[in-house]
Amino acid sequence: MNQDIKAEEKFMGQNAWFSIFMAVTLLIISVYPMLNKASTPLLVLGVSAFLGSFFMFVIRGGFTRKMKYHLTYKDEYLNTIDTIAYKHVVLALLITMGTVYLGSNDFALHITHSMMATFYLAVMCLAYGVSILWQNRD
Amino acid sequence: MQNHIAKFRKAAGLSQQELADAISVSRKTVSTVETSRFTPSVIIALKIALFFNTSVESLFSLDETD
Repeated sequence: MNQDIKAEEKFMGQNAWFSIFMAVTLLIISVYPMLNKASTPLLVLGVSAFLGSFFMFVIRGGFTRKMKYHLTYKDEYLNTIDTIAYKHVVLALLITMGTVYLGSNDFALHITHSMMATFYLAVMCLAYGVSILWQNRD
Repeated sequence: MQNHIAKFRKAAGLSQQELADAISVSRKTVSTVETSRFTPSVIIALKIALFFNTSVESLFSLDETD
């Protein structure tokens, strides 16, 4: 039981950082097509940074083969901040979508649907990661 | 809501991690309950009271704003 909770604590910390790394990667991906000059080193660096953060997450997250997928945390506090983080995600998404809705006519011709979808995903990941880190402080 | 968990814990010579392990919660739960940032469930309140062999009322008290 205690080992499960310690694993959950460790997992949540890693999960928050992974979400932030993922958000930055997605932001780069969503902005990248707008750059007229294609930069291969930047793309390689971005992909390497993402894969590095992903493997760090898998290794340091304390995953085992016996771990199952759970929608909730066993620990009460972790479960509460996870739920609040999802509320922050929804708020961030609503604010971003509202802002895009109000100002989209100016740049709609230059931006594809996939770029916008990637951008929304980035905002969601960023909101989740930052919210968890902020709530998880001592 | 105010609480005296830190006082009880220090009197027992325990760290937050030791108390957390004893009642099967995370250290963050103990830390945030002690600083009144998080209000625990009745189950956790009872577990802490049982651990210190005291009543929930002696651990927690209501504020004027509650």
